[in-house]
Amino acid sequence: MLNIKPIISALWRSKSGPVLLLLQIILSVAIVANASFIIHERLQKMNRESGIAEAEVFTVNIYNFGENVDYDLQRRKDIEAIKNLPDVKNASLVSMIPMSGSGWSSSFTREAFDRNKENQEEVSAGIFFNDHNFIDTLGLKLIEGRNFRIEEIDYSPNAKDVKAIVSRAFATAMWGEGPAVGKTFFNGPDESAEVVGVLEYLQGDSVGRSTFQHGVIFSYDFVRAGKNAIYAVRANPKDIPQLKKDIKDALLADNPYRVFQGFETIAEIRVDAYRNDALMVTALSMIIVLLLVIASLGLSGMVMFNIQKRTKQIGTRRALGAKKRDIIQQFLVENYLICSLGALLGGILAMQLGSQLMRHYDLPMLDLSYVFVTVAGLFVVTTIAVLLPARKAAAISPAIATRSV
Amino acid sequence: MLKMNKVSKVFKTELVETHALRDFNLTVNEGEFVAVTGPSGSGKTTFLNIAGLLEPFSQGEFELDGIDVANLNDNQRTQIRNEKIGFIFQGFNLIPDLNLAENVEVPLRYRGMGRKERQQRVNAALEQVGLGSRHKHLPSQLSGGQQQRVAIARALAGEPRFLLADEPTGNLDSLMARQVMELLEDINRKGTTIIMVTHDPELARRAQRNIQIVDGQVCDFTMYQPQQESNKDVQLEEALSE
Amino acid sequence: MFLHYLDLAWRSIRKTPALSLLMVTAIAIGIGITTTTLNIYQMMALNPTGERSEQLHAVQLWSHGPDTWDEFHMQITYQDAMNLRNLAPQFKQLAQMRSGMVIQVDSDKFEPELRAVRVTDSDFFSMFSVPFLYGTSWGEQVDKDAAYHVVISEKYNQKMFGGGDNVGKTVYLNRKPYQVVGIVDNWNPQPKFFDPMNGAFRDAEEVFVPFSLLPIEKFQVWGNISGWKHEDTKNFSDTVKSEKVWIQYWVELNSQESRQQYKQILTGYIDEQKALGRFTDNKTSADSSRLNTVAQWLSIAEVIKEDNRILVGLSFLFLSVCLVNILGLILTKFLKRTSEVGVRRAIGASRMHIFSQYMVEVGIIGLLGGLVGLALASGMLYLLGEKFGMDSSLISMSNSMWFIAPFIAIMTTLVAGIFPAWKVCHTKPSVYLKSQ
Repeated sequence: MLNIKPIISALWRSKSGPVLLLLQIILSVAIVANASFIIHERLQKMNRESGIAEAEVFTVNIYNFGENVDYDLQRRKDIEAIKNLPDVKNASLVSMIPMSGSGWSSSFTREAFDRNKENQEEVSAGIFFNDHNFIDTLGLKLIEGRNFRIEEIDYSPNAKDVKAIVSRAFATAMWGEGPAVGKTFFNGPDESAEVVGVLEYLQGDSVGRSTFQHGVIFSYDFVRAGKNAIYAVRANPKDIPQLKKDIKDALLADNPYRVFQGFETIAEIRVDAYRNDALMVTALSMIIVLLLVIASLGLSGMVMFNIQKRTKQIGTRRALGAKKRDIIQQFLVENYLICSLGALLGGILAMQLGSQLMRHYDLPMLDLSYVFVTVAGLFVVTTIAVLLPARKAAAISPAIATRSV
Repeated sequence: MLKMNKVSKVFKTELVETHALRDFNLTVNEGEFVAVTGPSGSGKTTFLNIAGLLEPFSQGEFELDGIDVANLNDNQRTQIRNEKIGFIFQGFNLIPDLNLAENVEVPLRYRGMGRKERQQRVNAALEQVGLGSRHKHLPSQLSGGQQQRVAIARALAGEPRFLLADEPTGNLDSLMARQVMELLEDINRKGTTIIMVTHDPELARRAQRNIQIVDGQVCDFTMYQPQQESNKDVQLEEALSE
Repeated sequence: MFLHYLDLAWRSIRKTPALSLLMVTAIAIGIGITTTTLNIYQMMALNPTGERSEQLHAVQLWSHGPDTWDEFHMQITYQDAMNLRNLAPQFKQLAQMRSGMVIQVDSDKFEPELRAVRVTDSDFFSMFSVPFLYGTSWGEQVDKDAAYHVVISEKYNQKMFGGGDNVGKTVYLNRKPYQVVGIVDNWNPQPKFFDPMNGAFRDAEEVFVPFSLLPIEKFQVWGNISGWKHEDTKNFSDTVKSEKVWIQYWVELNSQESRQQYKQILTGYIDEQKALGRFTDNKTSADSSRLNTVAQWLSIAEVIKEDNRILVGLSFLFLSVCLVNILGLILTKFLKRTSEVGVRRAIGASRMHIFSQYMVEVGIIGLLGGLVGLALASGMLYLLGEKFGMDSSLISMSNSMWFIAPFIAIMTTLVAGIFPAWKVCHTKPSVYLKSQ
């Protein structure tokens, strides 16, 4: 049976050492629990599915500066030219690129918007104006309904009878879990669209927005009448570097008055989009690792000091029949006592810190499980930090006891 | 020089009160060489700590070189230690990181003495103990006897009014012990008062006066007075205590 | 005495190299992390306008209807901007937006390229203290009667023309010829206070054209166009007439009186507009406008990122763990030397002497830790730029850090050292003299 009582009284008598250890553990638990929680939250955010074949799809951003250009015609010619290149699987004109940080969004209602009615629930979403090629080019997965038909694509400025394909997340926010095909939704008092298909995933432009997973594609187009155009091109990853050059040459041959930007794969765009989150994850992971290193080094140092101070006592114990195991056990039990108290107080501090962070920043409430995991981890780390010097202590010769000081 | 009147020292713990010294009376005159003996636990060390102003006492009067030290604060006591008392310990207690000259210099630095004067005094003190050529050595490079001589040089450098020696030869072999003892006697002859705590009756006998502490009280008698009766008493006492 | 303490401290540090290294490492890592986050924070919190901050004011208008936005928007409508420009010509003021155009010159060496362009008024350059190398801004007259004038940066001047005084030469923006009237010397305030919502740490534009050209050339908007009601804005003239907000407006007000005066003009203007059926929210005219100094503007734009605040907080907590840690190590180290302290005390060291000696030692460890920490921080900042593409203005080490980092390091170790040093100098000298 472990003899805890004398250990407690020994701890109590040599106050400053254990108190410092306790303080360190309390602070470590509070920091590590919150940091790992934020890390987890960011990783979850970064791992959200885009539904796009990210490595295969790349973007071509074009800015036309020629005069008297029929932009619409030019674009159709461009898409055809790109599609005719060998190695190109598909190409599509797109109104915006998910995760790219710039694009369109709007909010929608289940019924026509009425200024006089209160509490009309609005659901916002990133909005796309694209043709039937879009879904295949990006590699999006339809889980309900169908793609646009060619005849449904409306190029006129005042499109009527608009069809829409929406992401499952948008459909669920709008109408709940059930099927969404056939339903109609509204933008303002007199614009509406009928859902013909539901996509597993379609994300908006801004990764920071809460409605990022809401995406809506409309079967009409009004953004085409501008200088900018974005094309999405799908090809084998190995062909992409060559294609970037080929596409530029092909399009400039047709019309030299434009400049190119982009030529980024969606995978690269994703890295850009989550750069700050990745930075936060790296920074916090570094803090956690360094914290554990420092805390365990400090702990080892203090245990070593304790052993030096108690050499004679340990020798006497050994002379009186304590096994090596018993000595190690004594140090471990001491450590666990402090750790347990530290875990308790640290857990409380961690939750306090978590609630402060939640109040002041855009963070959800700290989950208690992170405190538990942190404490478990701390027990492992401190065990190692104690075990190494404690084994040295156990090697103290019982003969020390008979030596006078 | 040193006058203790009814000095008491009580150690209190939660459970017991120990009287380390009780109604301790002692007068030491200028220029004396006094040996303090007594069995272990009798209060020798407590006496030394109080005499050296290392510890406060509980009750009584204590006058050192004409100064009433009963109510001095820590800083004032430190200053008296620094200026008037030289310590010599059984374990030498040299500072291992400092070389000999630096060790001897320590009390002078705390006195705020200028560099030149410090150097002169250090040289003189080391010369006096016969180690004038070894300024740069570290204590660990010396024998025990040499270390103790450095410690004595350190005590002397401050030109104290009296030396407090605590078992100065306890860690030395007999040859070295004799050399150290001779050095102390030499110092005494030059006018420095010495109080030496020892359990070695051989050493004690070489002092001018022996004081024995038993149970925190003093049994004072002088060795040098050629009176037969007293001598008998001494022998009787010694016989009794053994 | 201080030099003597330094000497003693250095010996003591060298005597226990492992323990000293551990302490220096602990403090260096703590300082490294804290300095890194603090440096980024400080760079974000910079106000590049200095004293001018109180004179430059960004104008906000509550032109949106009831039950829509619950805050002032950072931009205003085109119609309000045009009205304000005419309303109080006695003040220096400007309307601006960010656009982009393809730039060309009469040279084969320069390939056409797409560039961000600032569309603004002539007062931009004097209000924001933009230094001219050659030429000057376009005249005030151009703000009323549009002219194809352009101001370019010296860097861009180098790139296009190979440098030199090229005032009078022609630059093509979207194939329209513009006459160069001025070349701006190095100017890139960070944070980009005059347009923080389009990226607070983006570089300043290097091409400037008159705002008066906007309705003629229908420049593309490279920024946000926000609306609070449903409006058909399928072409440029729709947008110009609409209630959408996309123009930034600044005015220079050098005194309290001019501020009040301008505020009154704004209130009067909103009164008029209310009468015309705009500004429909039930807010008084006086409450429907706001003038923000540069400092306020940067705060509204939330230039300091939330993540950075969290990291600064966590890194200080981290530093506190380091503090507790080195406190333990210092205690360990000092208590090992109590017998030496006993000797020193016996032979005349006062408590103050001992305390000072140990605090000096601790301070040196702090200084060493601070210096190593600074090196670590520069390394981390470099990595942030290399691996995470962080804006260069944020990752350059601020000059003040060379003092702040060692200062924090020394203060931290001194705080950690107080208890051990106090404990050591209060040990009874007598206790440690007997034993060895």
